[in-house]
Amino acid sequence: MHAANPSLSPRAPMGAVLNDESRSRLEGWLTERAGASRVTVTDDGRLGGGAISVNHALTLDIHGGSRAGRHACVLRAESAGRIAASIGKRREFAVLSAAFTAGVAAPEPLFDCDDPGVLGPDFFIMRRAEGVGAGFAVVKGDAPQPDLARELGRQLGLLHRVTPDAPGLERLPEPPLCPAQELLGHLRAWIGDLARRDPVLAWGLRWLEVNAPPPGPLVLCHRDFRTGNYLVKDGRLTAILDWEFAGFGDPMEDLGWFCARSWRFRRVNREAGGIADRADLYAGYEETSGRRVDPKRVAYWETAAYLRWAAIALQQGERHSTGAEPSLELALTGRMLPEIEMDLLRHLRAQAALAATARAEAALATPPAEDPPVEQVA
Amino acid sequence: MRTGPDAYALLDIALTTLRGAVLPHVAPEARYAALMVANALDIAGRELRGFDASGHAMVVALAPLYGEDADDALAGEELDTRVSALQHRLCIEIAAGDFDHDGQDVLMDALEAIVRARLVIANPKAAGQGA
Repeated sequence: MHAANPSLSPRAPMGAVLNDESRSRLEGWLTERAGASRVTVTDDGRLGGGAISVNHALTLDIHGGSRAGRHACVLRAESAGRIAASIGKRREFAVLSAAFTAGVAAPEPLFDCDDPGVLGPDFFIMRRAEGVGAGFAVVKGDAPQPDLARELGRQLGLLHRVTPDAPGLERLPEPPLCPAQELLGHLRAWIGDLARRDPVLAWGLRWLEVNAPPPGPLVLCHRDFRTGNYLVKDGRLTAILDWEFAGFGDPMEDLGWFCARSWRFRRVNREAGGIADRADLYAGYEETSGRRVDPKRVAYWETAAYLRWAAIALQQGERHSTGAEPSLELALTGRMLPEIEMDLLRHLRAQAALAATARAEAALATPPAEDPPVEQVA
Repeated sequence: MRTGPDAYALLDIALTTLRGAVLPHVAPEARYAALMVANALDIAGRELRGFDASGHAMVVALAPLYGEDADDALAGEELDTRVSALQHRLCIEIAAGDFDHDGQDVLMDALEAIVRARLVIANPKAAGQGA
């Protein structure tokens, strides 16, 4: 998922990766799964953009069975070092299936495999979508893209109609009693001892604790819904990608993540993912989700987004530092922490200013009480 | 004993050569990796040169909270230990709720100055971006 330096272009195809032996095993397995008489796999090379999963472009020629024909696909496999927030390929396949069934523009999931005898790691195969995905390329044009933001809002609204009782999602972790408290627990575990050495992370965690909203409805969240994780062709959305962090949570969480400064790719004034205003995204969301956007709750989840991205960046850096997966890209991602922290502080400043304005307006509107209200952290 | 150019000079010339003589000829599929190498060398150079300056900036940033004087004589590990001790103390106070009601403006100023001092090494462009 996250590139170490989003200003750099995505990795180009790196050549064929399946050898004759593994391709032959894959073809045999696919023939059985597709109920076909024969399947031929052509390896079109490794695709970029995945620091957690490994993506290969494949062409399947299926002879016989219900899926007979030629299919441009992507094989998505677990990489060497999975990070804590990732749900694994079998669950990701279940999420993708639920989203696709709900009408979300997700790549159609075709086959999933947890037999280590086929390729080794768990993997699944989905249909390949066309379009540009790299964040800087998507936000490049001088004109904002309100229609694209609105469509992304509609898509997110469709996804958020999926609830924990949807069939096929039993593989996911139990829905949390309180999403804010659950994430806070995860963040504390992921950030660990650094919260006693880095005061910005300490303040972010404290802010999340003091301002945690009570639980509301629980829906299926994407948890990495942002510019850079969807494909656009001729200005139109073609597919939403990277479902490996999905789970049940607060519907405002995905909106906060989408609007975080980290994913605006230097278009900081286009608060919806560097492409348009929040109002465009929110309007699309309200069209399909059946609920209103709660800006205050979105702001809470945006704070959580910076802490979560910081924790992920730290883990990516550790994958390199511990020797588990030596990689310059992972090492540089670990060095992004101060940048993420600056974004967090700017967001908290803006929230504090909003809260101060609200308090001033409330004070003007009501006569002074005997006991002045306690100032909240904000 | 070392007689040639020091580590700083080696890093400088390596980066200049990479940018001027290598990057323009790198094949497209290797360009991303080459740019990451240049970025890593850049960060390493700034860290070698700016580590103490960054530490002093952090002590100054924390002075409004703890009244510590910036001691220009401190350097290297000693300076790092001082900064770590101050940051640890602040973390404990934050977690204990000391800033839940009062002092948030002073705290935010200090935190921003700390992060800015670290960004000077990690990503100077991000230190200058407006709110």
